[in-house]
Formats: sequence, C-alpha cells, structure tokens
Amino acid sequence: MKVRQRWDRWEAIGAVAVFVVFDDPELLRRTMFADIDVDDLPFEVAVDRARTSYRAWGLHRARRRDIWLDPAVYRTYWRLLRAGDRLRAGGSDSLQLGGDFVLDRAGRIAYARPQVRDDRPPVAELLAAAKRVGP
Amino acid sequence: MTTTAAAIPGGAAPALDLPTLTGGRIVSTGWYGHPVLVSFLRHAG
Repeated sequence: MKVRQRWDRWEAIGAVAVFVVFDDPELLRRTMFADIDVDDLPFEVAVDRARTSYRAWGLHRARRRDIWLDPAVYRTYWRLLRAGDRLRAGGSDSLQLGGDFVLDRAGRIAYARPQVRDDRPPVAELLAAAKRVGP
Repeated sequence: MTTTAAAIPGGAAPALDLPTLTGGRIVSTGWYGHPVLVSFLRHAG
C-alpha cells in the first residue's frame, strides 16, 4: 500500500482509491494492517470474503510454482527485511492474485494490470494512468 | 493466465458493493466524476 505514502499526489488530481482484501477482518488487523491505523487512511479498504469481485475483475489464483519458485518473491522479501520490515503471518490463500486498475470519471477501465505472479506496477505508473484520466 | 473482458481497458468496470474494514460500505457508483484507483491485494505475509 505504497500509495498512502504520497497520497497528496493522488489528492492533487482529485483521485479516490479503494483497496480490496479478502481475508477475515480480524486476521487482517493482526497481520497486513498491524502497523496501520485503518481509521486514519485517506481511502477505503473493502472486504470481499467470497472473492466475488476478484473473479468479476478477472483475478485468478496463481499456480504454486509461479509464486513460491519465483526468485523475485525472495528478492522482495530480502529487500524488505534489509529495510527493517518484518515477516508477518500470511493470509488464508497466498495463491490468490491481486491487480491494479484505474477507472475514468465515467467508471470505465482506463488501465488494467491484473497480477500473473507476485508483482505490482510502480506507484508512478498508476499515478500516471490516473493523471491521463484527468482531474 | 487470462483476464475477463470486464478487466480490459475501455470496458465498464464491474460493480463493487462491499463492506469496509471500518464498518462502512463502498459502492462503486459513488466514484463517478473522479479518477479511481482500485487495487485488489494479495495477502502473502
């Protein structure tokens, strides 16, 4: 959720954001959001326990080898640990993929980046897509 | 690995109507008029 570190840039173009998660809220508060005050976030975090929206938006489950045999995953963990982060307990399904989408002002998809493995586009790429949509 | 037509640029975004972590509810029609980032997260620890 690197977007929150420079939320002012999103605010400047009048953008809104929503993050969608699928695990039990109690588990999320103990793990993914352990160091984050969710009441203080400038955007909403929506919970989709059934993952209906994940399917509707075309987000699949990865093959085990696409996640756990991917050297990039371990490079990411190593980089985070070196930066002082710590390992947290995982969720109920580590193979569920996510994705990033930017919608235009009419609710059409202007940018789509569904994950095919554990990767995310740079925040700058998402912001550029939102800027193309316009304030 | 394929995506549905709904996730392709130019198409209408599938509707979202979900509870939030803070006890509220989000409905995607409320976003019209703004650029919107929708980010679906993994939870891998």
